[in-house]
Amino acid sequence: MMASIVFAIFTLLVIVFNYYSIENDFWFPELASNWGALDTATLMTLIISGIVFVGLSLFICYCLVRFRHKENSKAEYQIENNKLESWLAAVTTIGVIILLAPGLMVYSDLINEPEDSLKIEAIGEQWTWSFRLPGADGFFGKTHPKHFDLNNSFGLDPTDQYAQDDILIKSNILHLPIDKAVSLSLRSKDVLHDFYVPQFRVKMDMVPGQLTKLWFEPTIEGRYEILCAEYCGIQHTNMRGLVVVESEEKYKKWLSEQVIFANTSIDITSNSNNQEILSGENLSISLGCIACHSLDGSKNVGPSWKGIFGTERTLINGTKLLADRLYIEESIIKPNSKILMGFAPIMPIYNLDDKELDLIVEYIESLN
Amino acid sequence: MQNIQLKESLYEGQKIHHPKTWLTKYIFSQDHKTVATQYFFLSLLTGVVGVILSIVMRLQLGFPGVFDISPDTYYQSITMHGMIMVIYLLTAILLGGFGNYLIPLMLGARDMAFPFVNMMSVHFYALSVLLLFTSYLVPGGPTGAGWTLYPPQVLLPGTPGYDWGIVMMILSIAVFIIAFTMGGLNYVTTVLQSRARGMSLMRMPLVIWCIFLATVIGLLAFPALLVAGIMLLLDRLIGSSFFMPDIFQFGQHVTNVFGTEYEGGSPLLFQHLFWFFGHPEVYIVALPMFGIVSELISCHARKNIFGYKMMVWALIVITAISFIVWAHHMFVAGMNPVLGFFFATTTLIIAIPTAIKVYNWVLTLWKGDIHMTVPMHYAVGFIFTFIIGGLGGLFLGNVSVDVELSDTYFVVGHFHVVMGISPILAMCGGVHHWFPLITGRTMNNFLGKIHFWGTFSGAYLIYIPMHYLGLGGILRRYYDFQGLAYVSDSLKDMNIFITLASIVVGLIQFIFLFNIIWSYFKGKKVGKNPWKATTLEWQTTTMPPGHGNWPNNLPVVHRWPYDYSVPGASEDYIPQNVPINLDTSGENSNE
Amino acid sequence: MNDLVKDWSSDVSTFKIRWSKAMMWIFLISDTFIFGTFLISYMAIRLTVVDSWPDTSQVFALHIGGTEVPLLLIAIMTFILISSSGTMAIAVNAANKKDKKKSGLFMLLTIIGGIAFVSMQAFEWTKLIIDEGIRPWGNDFGSQQFGSFFFMITGFHGLHVLIGVIYLSIVSKRLLAGRYERIDDYQIVEVAGLYWHFVDLVWVFIFAFFYLW
Repeated sequence: MMASIVFAIFTLLVIVFNYYSIENDFWFPELASNWGALDTATLMTLIISGIVFVGLSLFICYCLVRFRHKENSKAEYQIENNKLESWLAAVTTIGVIILLAPGLMVYSDLINEPEDSLKIEAIGEQWTWSFRLPGADGFFGKTHPKHFDLNNSFGLDPTDQYAQDDILIKSNILHLPIDKAVSLSLRSKDVLHDFYVPQFRVKMDMVPGQLTKLWFEPTIEGRYEILCAEYCGIQHTNMRGLVVVESEEKYKKWLSEQVIFANTSIDITSNSNNQEILSGENLSISLGCIACHSLDGSKNVGPSWKGIFGTERTLINGTKLLADRLYIEESIIKPNSKILMGFAPIMPIYNLDDKELDLIVEYIESLN
Repeated sequence: MQNIQLKESLYEGQKIHHPKTWLTKYIFSQDHKTVATQYFFLSLLTGVVGVILSIVMRLQLGFPGVFDISPDTYYQSITMHGMIMVIYLLTAILLGGFGNYLIPLMLGARDMAFPFVNMMSVHFYALSVLLLFTSYLVPGGPTGAGWTLYPPQVLLPGTPGYDWGIVMMILSIAVFIIAFTMGGLNYVTTVLQSRARGMSLMRMPLVIWCIFLATVIGLLAFPALLVAGIMLLLDRLIGSSFFMPDIFQFGQHVTNVFGTEYEGGSPLLFQHLFWFFGHPEVYIVALPMFGIVSELISCHARKNIFGYKMMVWALIVITAISFIVWAHHMFVAGMNPVLGFFFATTTLIIAIPTAIKVYNWVLTLWKGDIHMTVPMHYAVGFIFTFIIGGLGGLFLGNVSVDVELSDTYFVVGHFHVVMGISPILAMCGGVHHWFPLITGRTMNNFLGKIHFWGTFSGAYLIYIPMHYLGLGGILRRYYDFQGLAYVSDSLKDMNIFITLASIVVGLIQFIFLFNIIWSYFKGKKVGKNPWKATTLEWQTTTMPPGHGNWPNNLPVVHRWPYDYSVPGASEDYIPQNVPINLDTSGENSNE
Repeated sequence: MNDLVKDWSSDVSTFKIRWSKAMMWIFLISDTFIFGTFLISYMAIRLTVVDSWPDTSQVFALHIGGTEVPLLLIAIMTFILISSSGTMAIAVNAANKKDKKKSGLFMLLTIIGGIAFVSMQAFEWTKLIIDEGIRPWGNDFGSQQFGSFFFMITGFHGLHVLIGVIYLSIVSKRLLAGRYERIDDYQIVEVAGLYWHFVDLVWVFIFAFFYLW
C-alpha cells in the first residue's frame, strides 16, 4: 500500500518537474531558425509519451493497491487473452504511426535543401572552425588533403580555376544574412567533429575524407554560439565559434572585407617586419594555437599570450623562471616539459622549423 | 515425439566432472553453479570500479575545476566507465552469472553441455578484466575516446591513450569476446539439446527464453565488434588505413607507425561495424532483465505471466528486428541521409513488441495476489523505469527529433535509465529472489528496501532532469560548460543537483553489496522453496543444490512453468514436475 | 513442415543430434559472421577508395618458363583445398561405417592437403612481401587498402586452416590409436569434418570476392 503511494508520488513528481523546467528556463533554447517543426515533433512526442507514462504508472499503482495480498485473496488464473493483446498491439501501432509519419515528413524536408540557398562550407579541425564561400563564380574550388600546409590551410588546389575566387574566412566567426536559406557543406581536416548551433536546431557530423551537409534559414538577428557536438579530443569542449546573423547590408560589408584564395599566398620568408607579424599571426590561426591561448589576457586552456613575453612566471613545481625567447620556443617544440602553475600538460607537440618558430615567437612578443 | 536412442544417456543426465582438489573445486571448477558465482563476484567488483569512475565524472561536472580533474582524466573515466558497465558488468553478470546458474537448474539438467569450456570462459573473462585494468599502467593511460572508440580520434594525439591505452582496450575486448563465445555456445547448446523429459521449448520459463535469445544475439553481434577491433588494432600497429583517411592535424600530415601517411580509410565503416554490434548488445542486456522480471512478477503476484505465448513471440521478433536498427545511432554521423527513413521506421517498429511485453507484465499484476516482497519491489520499480527509458527511445528513434537531441544529455539520460537503473533493479531483484536457492538463507529485507528506494529514486532525481538538460541543448562528453551563453544558470544548478544525487545513489549501491556479504554469513536460514515457486530450480532436494543438481533421477516435467493459483488446487502453486492429475499435496485436483 | 514443428515442439532436444555437433554448428554460424564482416568491410572500402584497385590477375601471377600465368598459384590452392574437403567427406563416411583404417587414411590425406595449402599461402605471402614489396601501409600497384585487406583476410583464413590441421591431426591420431573403436563412437570425425568444410567454404568466398573480382 505504502509502496504504491510512493510510486504514485514519483509519477506525479515528473509532471511537476515538467512545469518547473518550463518556468525556469530549461527548455529548448530560443529558436532562431526555420526548424520549428523539429520542436513541434519533439513536443508531440513528449505529450504522447507523457500521457502513456502517467496513465500506465497510475494504473500500476492502482493494481498494487487493489490486488495486494490479503487474507484469503486469490489470483485469477487466466493464461492469455489474445483479443485484448491484439487490441493493445493495434493501439500501440497507431501511436507509433502517429509519431513516425510526421517525423519522417519533417525529415524529408531536412534532407532536401532549397535550390537557391546560400552555399557556405564549414571546416572543422582540432580545435577551431573556419569557413569558405564559393565566391563570384558560384563554385567551390577543388580541395585535396595533399595541398594542406601551413600556408594553405584550406587545402585548395592552386591550379584549379574555380578556387581562385573562393572567399576564405580563417576565423571562427561566421556572418550570415537574415532570412536566407543557408546550405552548409561540412568537412574536417583531422578527426570527427559536428557543427551545431543550439538555436538553429540542426547538426551534422564532419567526417574527414568525406563531405556532409545540413541546411537552415536563420530567422532572428543575433550572435549564436557554434558548438562541436562529436567528441574530438581533450579540447572538444573549447571548440567554440560564433554565428552572427545580421541584415543583408551588414553581411555584404563583412563579406567584402574577407580575403580570397588568390590573394593569400603570402611569402613567409619576406624580410619586412610587417609581413612577418602578419605571417606569425596567420600561423597561429592555421595551427590552432589561438584555440587554447587567448590574445586578450583571459585565461583559457593555455596561458594567454598577451603580456607573457619577458615576464617572470611560476611553474607547477613552484620554481620561477623568465618567459624569454628560449622558454617560449621550448614550450612549442617540447610543450609538456615546463608547465606553468594552474595549467595542465595537454599541449600537443608542434614540429615547426626555425623560420616558423621565429615568426610565432615574434608574434607573441608583439602582443606585449 | 521422436525418440532416438542417443549414445549419451540423456535421461540420467550429462557426465559431469567430479572435482578432487581445492583448485578444481573452487578455482577451476566445472560446476555451473560455481562458475556462475565466479562471474557474479568478478563482475560486481568491476562494477564497483565503474561506480567510482562515475562519481569522478560527476564531481567534475557538478563542481568544475574544484577537484583538479584534468580533461585527460575526465575523458579516460567516461571511456572506462562506459566499457566496464556495458560489457564487463552487465553482459557478464546477466549471461555469465544468471545464465550459468539458472539454465541447467531450470531445464532439469545436471550441468551445461560442455562444462570444461564453461570453466574456461570465466577464466578468459577474468583475463579480459585484468587486461582492461592494465591500461592504467601503460604509458599514456587508458584510452579516452569514449566507450564507442571512434577513429580517427582514438588513434591520434589529442585523445588520451591513443598510443597504448587503445591497444590494451582492444586486446581486452577480444579476450572478452572469446570468453563470451565459449560461454554462449554452452548456453545455446544446453537450452536446445539438454532439457529434461517433458520440458519442451514452450514449457521453459521466460527467463530461459530471454537468456537463450540474448546469447543468440551475442554470438551473431560480437563478431562485428571483434572485426572492428582487429581492424582498428591493425591501423594502430601495422599502419593499415581501414578507418583512417588522409589527416592533416596540428599542421602536419599524420603518419602511422611506419612513417607513411594514412589514406583512404572510412571512419564511417567503423561506426557501422561498431553499432551493428552495439545495438544488439543493448538487447543482450535487456532480454535477460526482461526474463528475470517476468519470473519475479509471476512468482510474487502468485499469477501466471499473462500471455506466455505472445511474450515468447515478442522476444523472437525483438531479437530479429534488433539486427536492423543499428544506424539510429548514426542519424547525424554523415551516412547517406536516405538511410534515415529506413532505420527510423525499424526502430519505431521494435517499440511495438517491447510495449506488448510491458502490457503483459502489467496485466499479470491485474487481478493478481500481490505480495510486496523485496523482489516484487524491484520488479515493479523496473516496470516504471523501463517505461520512462523506453518512451525516451521514441524520441531518439524518430530521425527528425533525433537531429535536435543527438549527442545531448537526452541520449545520456535515456541510456542510463534503460541500461543503468532498469538492469540494476532487475538484477538486484533477481539476486534477492534466488539468494535462498544459492545459499539457503534470505537477504535482509530492510537493507533491501533501502537499496531499492535509493536506486529507484535515482531514475527520477538524476536521469529525468538529464533528459531536460538535453532538451535545453546541453551536449554530452563536455568537460565543463563554462562560457556558454545559451546555458542558463538554472541548468548549471541542475548539474550540481544531479551530481549530489548521483553521489548518494552511487554510495547506496554499497548497501546492496554489504547485504549480500552479511546475509551470506548471518542471513536467516529458510526451508526449501521459500517463495513457493513453480519452476524446477526450486524443486531440488537441498538449497543450495548439490553437485549434479538432482541426486537421483532428473525431474520429469508435466506442465508449464506458471501454474500459480490454479482453481481447485490445494495450494496456490503447482511445481512443473508434478504430474497432471495430482497437485502439490498429492491429492487429485479438480482440473 | 510437419517434421519441423515436431522437432521444435519436442522435449529434451530440438535437434536430434549430439550436443557436440550442435555446438560446432553454432560456433560455425558465429564464425560465418566474422568472415562475412571481413568481406563486407573489404567490399565497402573497395567501392569507396579514391585510388584505383590493383588488378589481381597481375599481382597474383606466377612466372613460369618465361610466361606470366595469372592466378595459377591460387587456382592450385583452391583445387587442393576443395579436394581436401572431398577426402574429408570420404573420411567421415568411412567413420560412420566404422572403417577405422579407411577413415584414418583419408583424414591424413586431408591433413596433407591442409598443410600444402598453408605452405603455398606462406609462399604467396613471401613472394608479395619480398618480391613485390606489398605492405599493409602501401604497395606499388594501387590503393593502399589492397595490401592490408589481403594480409588480414588471408591471414585469418590461413590461421583457421592451421587450427583445422592441428585439430584433424589430434582426431586422426586418436582414431588410428583405436580410441573411438573402443567406445564405438565415431561422431567426432563428423564434427571435425564440419569445421573443415566451413574453412573450405570460406575460402571459396574469399577466392571469389578478392581474387576474381
